[in-house]
Amino acid sequence: MEKTLAKKSFSQWVKKLSSWSVYIPRKDEEGRWNYAEADSGGVSLDVLQTTLPPKKILFPQREVFLEFAKTLAGNRETLEIKEVLPEVKPTVIIGARPCEARAAWMLDEVFGGDFKDAYYWRRRDQTALVGFACTIPPSENCFCTSVEGSPHSEEGLDILLTDLGDRYYVQSMTAKGEKLISAAKELFEEPKPEARKQVKAAHAESEKKIQRQLKDARPIAEKLKGMFDSPLWDEESMSCLRCGICTYLCPSCHCFDISDEVDNPSPLRGQRVRTWDTCQFPDFTMHSSGHNPRPDKASRLRQRLLHKFQYFIQVYDKFMCVGCGRCITLCPVGIDIIKVLDKVRDHGA
Amino acid sequence: MELNVYTPKLAKIVQAKDEVVGTRAIKTFRTEFANGARFDYRCGQCAMLSVFGKGEAMISISSSPLIRDYLQFSILRTGRVTAALHDMEVGDLIGVRGPYGNGFPIDEWRGKNLVFIGGGIGLAPLWSVVQTALLRKSEFGTLSLIYGARTSRDLVFKDELADLKSQMPVHLSIDVAEPDWKEFVGFVPTNVLEKKPSPANTIAITCGPPIMIKFVIKNLKDLKFEDDQIYTTVENKMKCGIGKCGRCNIGFHYVCKDGPVYSWAELKKLPQEY
Repeated sequence: MEKTLAKKSFSQWVKKLSSWSVYIPRKDEEGRWNYAEADSGGVSLDVLQTTLPPKKILFPQREVFLEFAKTLAGNRETLEIKEVLPEVKPTVIIGARPCEARAAWMLDEVFGGDFKDAYYWRRRDQTALVGFACTIPPSENCFCTSVEGSPHSEEGLDILLTDLGDRYYVQSMTAKGEKLISAAKELFEEPKPEARKQVKAAHAESEKKIQRQLKDARPIAEKLKGMFDSPLWDEESMSCLRCGICTYLCPSCHCFDISDEVDNPSPLRGQRVRTWDTCQFPDFTMHSSGHNPRPDKASRLRQRLLHKFQYFIQVYDKFMCVGCGRCITLCPVGIDIIKVLDKVRDHGA
Repeated sequence: MELNVYTPKLAKIVQAKDEVVGTRAIKTFRTEFANGARFDYRCGQCAMLSVFGKGEAMISISSSPLIRDYLQFSILRTGRVTAALHDMEVGDLIGVRGPYGNGFPIDEWRGKNLVFIGGGIGLAPLWSVVQTALLRKSEFGTLSLIYGARTSRDLVFKDELADLKSQMPVHLSIDVAEPDWKEFVGFVPTNVLEKKPSPANTIAITCGPPIMIKFVIKNLKDLKFEDDQIYTTVENKMKCGIGKCGRCNIGFHYVCKDGPVYSWAELKKLPQEY
């Protein structure tokens, strides 16, 4: 379904979505942009990139899996386990970037398959993503076009909006998207014939603005298979501080920990929680014997890059990188995934 | 309600037996599900055990799937969860979810001789196959076991091994000599060379510390075993058990889901990340 929506009608549309939880980029008290519920004010649709991607709405940084409690009746102790599945009302993320939606399309693979992750899907099934084509200038490290994405890609999105000056061009790709439009269908108009042309031009223009490029990403994926033992990983990881920011703020990184939190030791009461974790921490893979299959920074940098550019492709035929550039921009020591992969491509050439 | 793979079933500890006491303590537990829940598994599969308030640990199932009354786990006291398990008693409740992993392809081994080669606690995952092979003895050729530990007190299943000797050749070893020890003294891989199992129509199944597995495989190769005649079961740190949490991978394989059982023909193609 394709429509147009006058910009002045946009806020009316959002108001009509009152039965949904609406997330929009919003500036927090520390001046960082983050996704927050729309009714909290200070929102903007002109933000290219929030600090944390909207991943946290589908896959929260901490979530309770179950609660456990022991009770003592006389001298009989009983153990109660209560599963805590999230109760999620229909949710819409407005202002997602096409790359962030592509990340959801990757996470769907991880949390799907033979073992469906009920916690993820409870949220995912209820959530629609309304994205904006990146017609505003990209970040200095955006490289989505190198990893099979684009500033107007549709994977993972329910609706793609493109800025045409006084109006948005609205493309709905899914039933969820159509539901969002029908919530305020009087605001949407049939697109004029020239609008389609304008959209094409805007999309083509947006691709030209991308400044960085990783050439030959697929051949690199193939080449990586032979570079597991390369000294390159040592050289490139030398400056790593093991802070993990590259993975925590990555839209597609999904590694997690499961641990028990005890509120009261006796009688026992607490909860089992899932929290984000990162392959960049030394104890991530350490056995209780002390043996560690990934004992150094080199093996952990290699794991991050190979997971994104080799393993995921071998299993799902997709990169596990959307080219948002956050890991490059935010790395405190300047480890640059594009430059490292450039070296892989040029290695031995 | 939809199936939630992360919710464990409650199981009661019905037997807790000391295998090794003191340092490097090992206990064998048998559990029964509190509400008679079914739990179908294959030899070599694992289960995620919970001690509520401490966390979860992935443990191989050492009982035979043909025995429906209980699940058996032999556990080395080594981390937080396993220490908490060691402190538990008969009647205590734990959580069990699973089973996870591929398991041993024992149906493909019908008509073949099986030689089991274990080191230390590494006998536990093999034990499920040993018990199953004994219960289905007519389907296999000759069975034998080569097993060792650091000292005689570190051997697991001591009572069962004594009985096993009446059913198959059992070659034991310890790393360093002890006064009353009458069997082999030396490392398990050396004992493999000493006992020279024949590769003819034989599958070798090995588990133990990574360094032992490495040299057992090398020595089996010297004895002319082919890569696809050697099977092992790998261990890596795990949290989810279902190929999502990102830690146990060897290359693009998740040990919890795609493993833990590999033939050497398969494993040698993967990077050394275990």
